[in-house]
Formats: sequence, structure tokens, C-alpha cells
Amino acid sequence: MSLYIVTILTNMTLISFIAISAYLILIVGEVSFGQQAFFGIGAYMTATSTALLGLDIVVALCLAFIVSALFALVLSFLTVRLSGLYFAVASLSFAELLRLSLYKVDYTVETNSGTVGPNGPEGFQNIRWIFENNISPENFLVIALSSLLALIISLIFMENSKLFKNARLVGKDQIVAQSIGIRPFFYRVSFITLAGGVAGFGGGLFALFNTYIEPSMFGIMLGVHGLAYSIIGGLGYPLGPLIGVFIDIGLLESVRFLSEYRMILFGGLVAAILIIFPEGIISPRLVSRIKRKLVEKNNA
Amino acid sequence: MEYIQISIDGILYGSSYSLIALGFSLVFGVMRRINLAYGSSLLLGVAIALWVENKLNISIIFFIPIVLFFCSLSNLYVERFCFAPHNTKAGVVVSMISSFAIWMQLDEISAQLLPDRTHSFPSLEISTFEFGGIFFRGDQILNIFVAFIISAILFLVVYKTRYGIVLRAVSNSADTAKLMGCNTNLVNSLTFIVAGVLGGIAAFLVLSTESQVTPLFGFWCTVKGLVAMMIGGLGSLTGAFWGGLLLGLLEAHFSYQFGPVFREITTFSILLIVLIIRPGGLMGVNIYKDLKSRDERI
Repeated sequence: MSLYIVTILTNMTLISFIAISAYLILIVGEVSFGQQAFFGIGAYMTATSTALLGLDIVVALCLAFIVSALFALVLSFLTVRLSGLYFAVASLSFAELLRLSLYKVDYTVETNSGTVGPNGPEGFQNIRWIFENNISPENFLVIALSSLLALIISLIFMENSKLFKNARLVGKDQIVAQSIGIRPFFYRVSFITLAGGVAGFGGGLFALFNTYIEPSMFGIMLGVHGLAYSIIGGLGYPLGPLIGVFIDIGLLESVRFLSEYRMILFGGLVAAILIIFPEGIISPRLVSRIKRKLVEKNNA
Repeated sequence: MEYIQISIDGILYGSSYSLIALGFSLVFGVMRRINLAYGSSLLLGVAIALWVENKLNISIIFFIPIVLFFCSLSNLYVERFCFAPHNTKAGVVVSMISSFAIWMQLDEISAQLLPDRTHSFPSLEISTFEFGGIFFRGDQILNIFVAFIISAILFLVVYKTRYGIVLRAVSNSADTAKLMGCNTNLVNSLTFIVAGVLGGIAAFLVLSTESQVTPLFGFWCTVKGLVAMMIGGLGSLTGAFWGGLLLGLLEAHFSYQFGPVFREITTFSILLIVLIIRPGGLMGVNIYKDLKSRDERI
């Protein structure tokens, strides 16, 4: 495979983590414009623990997951009374606050390979884990893709669990959920936290792959893209967000003559898809119809 | 003296936030929808107008109506594409996302029309004057004056005219208004056009005080307008006006005390604090006490 294709595939894999984290929050009926901040926190956390502290990669990614999940937990407690539009704007402002405070983080160490550490607007340079361990881009793609696959497969298995079914009910109608004894509070908090962790994990991989991160990478447009992917993909099945990723990066960015107008085309495309499929391409309704068909076939 | 000067500067700067927040508030007040593409549709209007001006070399008197025309046209495009297809109750969040997607699109088109990072913008050239040892920027005085007049006119239109009655009827209950024979589609489109004209005036005044336009203007407009509106109170016209001034005042003081990054940090911290403590905004309804508005919250 050429390097170009490998890079595109890796980017698709990494942004899928944001898309899936947006998907998890959409399941409990909220819209978050702030997933990019957790992505960024995960990236900074992984960069710090590999480049500054010299921790093992598995430990570093777990730390990224835990720390960004903790930040998401804070967000979910702060916004416990908010929903819908209010939650969306609150998550946006929380994310921007986290990102702007990264501009003030300044702690650098001189090593033989150059300056290492978060340096305000200059960003975090020299994350050399890939070079130190001689990981080729293909191998990194395998690592990222296998963690994404593990995530998706576990989500597919959890899809039929009580946790997910209750969470979907909370997202669909809080009052009905409450009336049969489901506490929306628990599901909201746990899903927002989980989503933060997933985004942070993806961010950690992003930092390792990019070898350089700066606060302006985690601006609002990143989160918007992740959200748009899961919205057009639909909420029916965990593979939904990947459809959005595929349409945007796989089709529009990789075709060279289109990539200059990618944002123009993609923005219009999202709006057009939402007119035709207001619930996304793989909507919950479609999934249940397919399931029913399969059951009928088995019975016949 | 220093503090008075900073306060005055902040309030005058905040008047541009008020102007933008008024347009937001109008759309939210009528349709209960948030138009996140508002800022970028204004940017697109300005970008097309600048492009036309470059081609034709027109004077500033003709430039203003061109800005207003293209701003309302791009707003109409947003309404037709993102809001008209999703006019059911389930479409509230969908239309917000849709306008978000269009935000990307319009920003990118404007960036293609304005290829450099900054472009000069015709300024009104009103001189700064001094009064009692305090300096006032003339163009900002004009801004606050226009913001005040526009909110007064809007208030009159909404509460005294026939269009205002229809507007409030649609805002109260679109279905009932439809049954009474209101053309809700037309009202929604008209509201977006009015919001576009308002936003065009705001964009022109803000950009002529800055005397330059960058592709970041769209994002700036959306965020500051949204924050000013949410501080003041969702859908409240007077709230949007005062919210903008308050935001400008606080930003000026914090950025003077702690440095320029704190201008943005202040914006978002105020928004977060207001949302947590009083989500309906300082002058809006308290959405957890008022039952009717609790049902309406989106």
C-alpha cells in the first residue's frame, strides 16, 4: 500500500473514535459539540506520559481514557439539569474552555532529541514513540484499526444488553423511562463519561501518530465533523458513524480534484441527507425492520 | 479613571455583540430554532459583496445595500435548506445539526471568495473624541446608537404591527397559527430575511470599526451572538441587547487584567456559569419554574 492510502486510512480510523463518542452521547438523547476537547485531553495525556514520563504505551492509552473520562464526568455533573440545545451549548463552552486553558500549559524539558513538553500555543513537540519503537505507518494502522474494531465489536455485543436498551429509552423519551423505573441520571452520566473516554483514547492514538499536537488542532470543527458523521450514519447500529467517516474522508478527501471543495460538498451533502433521512442512514427504525425480517425468515 | 475608560470601551465594543444577538434572538423567538449558520451566512453575504465591489468599484453608499441584500439572501438559503424541511417537532435538533453542516459549507465558500487571511473593509471614518478625559471611538458610539434604535424598532414591529401579531402567533404555536390561516412558511422565510438584514447591518458596522475582514468572522459572530443571547435570555429582545453590553464589559475587564487569551476564556466561562445557574438567561424566564416554558424547552 502506498503511504498516501495508509495515511488516509489511519486518519479515518482516528476520527472514527470521535464519531463513535458522539454516537454514544446521541444514544442518551443529547447532542454534544464538545467531544473534540476530550480528544485533545487524551492526546495531551498520552503525549505527556510517553514523551515526558516514559510510560508504556498501554498504560499511556489507559491513562488517556481515564483522564478524559474524568473530565467528561465533570461535564455531565455540571450539566445535570440541562438538555437539548442547552446541553449542546454548555458542552461547546466547556470544550472551548479546556482547549483555551491548554494555551496556558507550559512545561518543557530539554532532551537530546529536542524540546519536549506542552509549550502553550507552540504545542507539544517531539512525541517520538513511533520512531523509538520503529513502528512503520502500516503497523500503526494495524494497531489503530484493531483497537477500533475491538471497540465496535464490544459495542455490537452490548447493543442487546439491558444497559443499552434502557439508555435508548432514556434518549427516546425520558418521561416514559422514568415511569417504568429507569433513572435517566445514571444513564446520562455513564454514557457521557464513556463517550469522553472513547474520544480520549482516539486522541491518544492521534498524538502518537502525528508526533506533534497543538491546542488549535482540537477546535470546534473537529467535533462538528465527528458529530456530523454519526448523525448522517444514524443511531441504529454502531457501524453508522463509520458510514459518515467513509463518505467524508474516504470519498471526498481522497479524490484529489474534490478535496479542495470537500467542506463545501460535505456540508451540503449532510444537509441533503438529513432532508431525505432525518434519522440518519441506518436509523433505529431500519434496524428493527431488518431484525423483524430476519426473524420471519428464520421462522419460515 | 483607567477603570472607567476600560468599562466604556467594553460597553461600546459590546454593542456589536448586541447587534448580532438581536438577529439570533429574532429567529429563536419565532421559530424556537437555533440558527448556527447565522454568523457564516453573514460572512458569506459580506464576502460576496466585497467580491462584487472589487469587480465594479462602487462607492460605500451603494455598498451597504449590497451587503444587506446578500446577507438576507444567504440567510434565506439557510432557511430553505436547513429549517423548512424540518418543521416538525422532531426536527428541532435535526435542523440545528443541519445548520451546523451548512456553517462549514458557507465558511468554506467565503474562504474561497476571500483567499487572503485578511481583507480591507471600507470604514466609515468617524474620528475619536475626548470627553472629560475619557476617549470615545466615534464609530463605536454609532454602533451602540444603531443597536439601540434597531432593538426599539424590532420591539415596535413585534408588538405593534400586524406582522408582529402573526409572528407572535407562529412563535406561540405554529399549528394553531396555521389553522387560523397564517402562512407559517412565509412568516418563517420573512423572519430569516429580516434577521439577515439585521445581521447585515451588524456585520457592516462591526467590520467597518475593525476595517478588515477575516474568514474567522463567521465563527466569531456565531459564538459571540449566541453567548450574548444566552446570557441575556433566550428569545428576549431586550435581554439580547443588555447581554451583549454585559459580555463586552466583562471581557474588557478580564482581558485587561489577565491578558488577551482571557477574552475568550471569559466568554465561555460566563456562558457556562449562566447555563449552570440560570439556564433561561439573566433576563429570560427561569425554565425550571415556569411549567409552560419547561415543556417548550428544547
